[in-house]
Amino acid sequence: MELCDLPAFQISEMVRRREVSASEVLDSALNRIQLVDGRQGCLDPGSITDEDRKKVHAFISITTDKARAQASAVDKKIAAGEPPGALAGVPISIKDIFCVRGTNSTAASKILANFNSPYTATPVNRLEAAGGLVLGKANLDEFTYGSSNESSAFQPTPRNPWNTKHVPGGSSGGCTASVAAGEAALSLGTDTAGSIRQPASFCGVVGMKPTYGRVSRYGLIAFGSSLDCPGPVARNVKDVALMLRIIAGSDPHDSTAAVVPVDDYVAALEKNVKGKRIGLSPDYFKITYPVPASDSFQQQAIPQDIDQTVQHAAEIFRQMGAEIVEGVPMPNTRNGIPAYFVISRVEAASNLHRYDGVKYGYRTPGELDDLRTMYRKSRGEAFGPQPKLRILMGMYVSAAQYSEQYYMRALKVRSLIRQDFDRIFDPAGPYHLDALLTPTTPTPAFEMDAVYGDSVMMQYADQLTVPANHAGIPGISIPGGISSSGLPVGIQLLGPDFSEANLLSIAHAFETATTNEPWRSVKPQVLQ
Amino acid sequence: MTQYEPIIGLETHIRLNTQSKIFCSCKADSWYDPPNTNICPVCMGLPGVLPVLNEKSVEKAMLLATAMQAEIRPLSYFDRKNYFYPDLPKGYQISQYDMPLAKGGYLDLPIPDSSGLSTTSYTRRIGITKLHLEEDAGKTKNESGQRQIDFNRCGVPLVEMVTGPDLRSADEAAQYLIRLRQLLRWIGISEADMEKGHLRCDANVSIRPVGAEYLNPKTEIKNVNSIEAVRDAITKEIERQIRETGSGHKIEAWTLEWDEDRGLLKKMRSKETEADYRYFREPDLLPLRIDAVWKEKVLATLPELPLQRRQRFIDEYNLPEYDADILTGERGLSDFFESSVKAYHGESKKVSNWIMNDVLRMLKDRSIQSEQLFLQPTDLVEIITMIDKGVINTSTGKSLIDKVEQAHKKPGELVKSENLAKVNDEGAILAACKAVLDENPGEVATYKTGKLTLMGWFVGQVMRKTQGKADPGMVKGLLESLLK
Repeated sequence: MELCDLPAFQISEMVRRREVSASEVLDSALNRIQLVDGRQGCLDPGSITDEDRKKVHAFISITTDKARAQASAVDKKIAAGEPPGALAGVPISIKDIFCVRGTNSTAASKILANFNSPYTATPVNRLEAAGGLVLGKANLDEFTYGSSNESSAFQPTPRNPWNTKHVPGGSSGGCTASVAAGEAALSLGTDTAGSIRQPASFCGVVGMKPTYGRVSRYGLIAFGSSLDCPGPVARNVKDVALMLRIIAGSDPHDSTAAVVPVDDYVAALEKNVKGKRIGLSPDYFKITYPVPASDSFQQQAIPQDIDQTVQHAAEIFRQMGAEIVEGVPMPNTRNGIPAYFVISRVEAASNLHRYDGVKYGYRTPGELDDLRTMYRKSRGEAFGPQPKLRILMGMYVSAAQYSEQYYMRALKVRSLIRQDFDRIFDPAGPYHLDALLTPTTPTPAFEMDAVYGDSVMMQYADQLTVPANHAGIPGISIPGGISSSGLPVGIQLLGPDFSEANLLSIAHAFETATTNEPWRSVKPQVLQ
Repeated sequence: MTQYEPIIGLETHIRLNTQSKIFCSCKADSWYDPPNTNICPVCMGLPGVLPVLNEKSVEKAMLLATAMQAEIRPLSYFDRKNYFYPDLPKGYQISQYDMPLAKGGYLDLPIPDSSGLSTTSYTRRIGITKLHLEEDAGKTKNESGQRQIDFNRCGVPLVEMVTGPDLRSADEAAQYLIRLRQLLRWIGISEADMEKGHLRCDANVSIRPVGAEYLNPKTEIKNVNSIEAVRDAITKEIERQIRETGSGHKIEAWTLEWDEDRGLLKKMRSKETEADYRYFREPDLLPLRIDAVWKEKVLATLPELPLQRRQRFIDEYNLPEYDADILTGERGLSDFFESSVKAYHGESKKVSNWIMNDVLRMLKDRSIQSEQLFLQPTDLVEIITMIDKGVINTSTGKSLIDKVEQAHKKPGELVKSENLAKVNDEGAILAACKAVLDENPGEVATYKTGKLTLMGWFVGQVMRKTQGKADPGMVKGLLESLLK
């Protein structure tokens, strides 16, 4: 075990106690990157080699100089006896959907490949102010549009550290891969339909989507503005709690950031789960696809080892004194993806309007005398297939003649999904749950190229995570076991608005109770 | 021959005079600044930025809504209006659509008769069909084959206010803009300078046979930058529509542009289909909630409105409509009048005359606003009262107005220090009269031959000798008896 494999809370303690310097921690992380990451994603990668196929490729850019400056600033503060911050010396990767001043902030798209941001996103600012070391920008699906990372314009794309033939998930796949491989102790991701929780599950790490508005979106390049949530990724629950405490809170630059006090999430971890009511819903143990031809739904049970992983977790909670409530109805779960298809694309199409080649980013080369041609060529040449699909669909379903039957209807479905949660979490209601326990994903990480290209199937990877985004509630994915194929399986806990402290304490109790289970000692392939 | 009546509606964009922009803290007024100097990541629409609503802009819009008798919605929303244009950096404008800040509203517009004396011949109620907040876009300039963009104006707060098709002539349209401009300045929410783009106006014009109830297709006139231009452009367009209809042509829903230099309307585009802006709620802003406490606090600052004050001046002070109209031309002047009247114990009309003649002339000569005057209402009243009491004569009073402003001294002080009090000593005045007659034997002879108009000249000479302090009436009486 090396420095970079230690938990973030332990690293910062050691740094503050002067047992190790921030610069030494940084060296350890940079060495690990050197060892496992391979080449960073770029727009013109040439062919993908066998060597590439064995590496993680978590990063688009590594900002060594910036990280070194931050490390020496931390070390100087410590030498001067000044408080260095709660994340002193902790190596952090940032999903390249956040603007960081002076760095290329690309959204993994050709259209922003040359965009050097003049300002820093609020959550990144807070991480830096807490003494964190920003290693660089993690790869992602282009503009976060995907669940595998394969749609990035920057190739080679991240691979799953547990088995590099498999995807790390997405869209925060670079984040979760970097954390799983020990390149970073913490990572800042975003979750619009499961983009933190699904790759966390695929990569065997902890990822949390906080309540909508818990963490400021200022500086997050928008996908679905009413769904996007920045959130933490780490290898253990305590680190997630530590990081969330730093990044959460209101922000004068984001009026949708909630003015709600931030709990001491780390202190809350010590609460036990005795008497907590944890629900299981049959609607989360199957995947439901609409069949447009017959206007009906087709159902498929989730694989047995995933089912068993969740049942095992429920058993652990029961043993610790929690009350497991079975048969909780969540009838609108199956409509989550169709509604998401509509809402997110309307917002995405509008959010992508600003990339027009006029002010920054890619502009088609050569002089043109027609404005429309410049727009068309710039956008046509620099957007990949995923943004294009989302623009087409977003423009269609928000057009005056279709908006009522698609967009407005999707908003109603969204309210129904919210009502499902309101009913089960209502303290005066029939279920009065503290949390809902579900699988995070219907499958473990799939192989690269297996799903990519099928936008609909790719989207159904998010069926169990997207309801939380519709409802705005918090959710966390934690490792729950390992599948028969040797890949991690995540379990998800969902709770009512601003119940992060509660979810983290339940997750922490599970983590503690399973410390000695054999699957806990299995290491990712790239670290073996 | 068919008689037609014009049907006109005005769409105005009012730039609110906030210090900073509507969604960021950049300076809002860039009139004197070079292009692209008052910009930031937010108003430039950089990736990842978010708007934060400037509450001052909401408060100013609330004042306008209330002044226009509109209802303020306790809950309204911002929406995105999506379209591509290089000076629209986000590719959408943050505006309000189906649930805007205000609902309804009207202005009872007094239309003056043709006498030019500001007497009202009738009042027309102009309905307001839309009143909402939005952000301005940038400015595009085509220069030497290049399209140049100035983003300074991006995010400047605007109220878009649209009237119903309620105006019936180019003059009525001009009157509406005159009254709107007066109101905006009066309630202090906009400088309302059309030349600077603070108040922008598009006019929708159609005609129909007199007595008809239906509406014909309308044309929209854009780019009219002064009240005169609005009047001229609408007049031209009404003439054109009558001409076209008369020769059997249909009026099509064109967008027209007013070429001010040549006094011509040019067709910009046909408007067969409405653009689809794909409005949807702006997810980056919270719903706008205006609770009773906030509303009350803001509306407490709303002053009596100009047309109400105008009517009150007529009723309460017995002023002619002409006087009331001029005195309520701007708020500071009307306050000046009212304070003066309250401090004065005589005729209101006398105060009105003094202000309309002497104070207004001085404001004009000095190119200043009433708020900038050193002369206070109490000073004016002191001057008038001194005349009433015979302490000074009228011409001294008139010159005192200027002297007070010039010397920054009080009228009583000046009368003392410059020895301006009227000379009432009959002996002294008689001596002066005698002296004048002695010095001008020729004129005396001419007078005595019957040229009685010379009396004025004699009086003038005596006034000069007494430095204007003699009572001209007394001088005249004495001269008449001396010349008998």
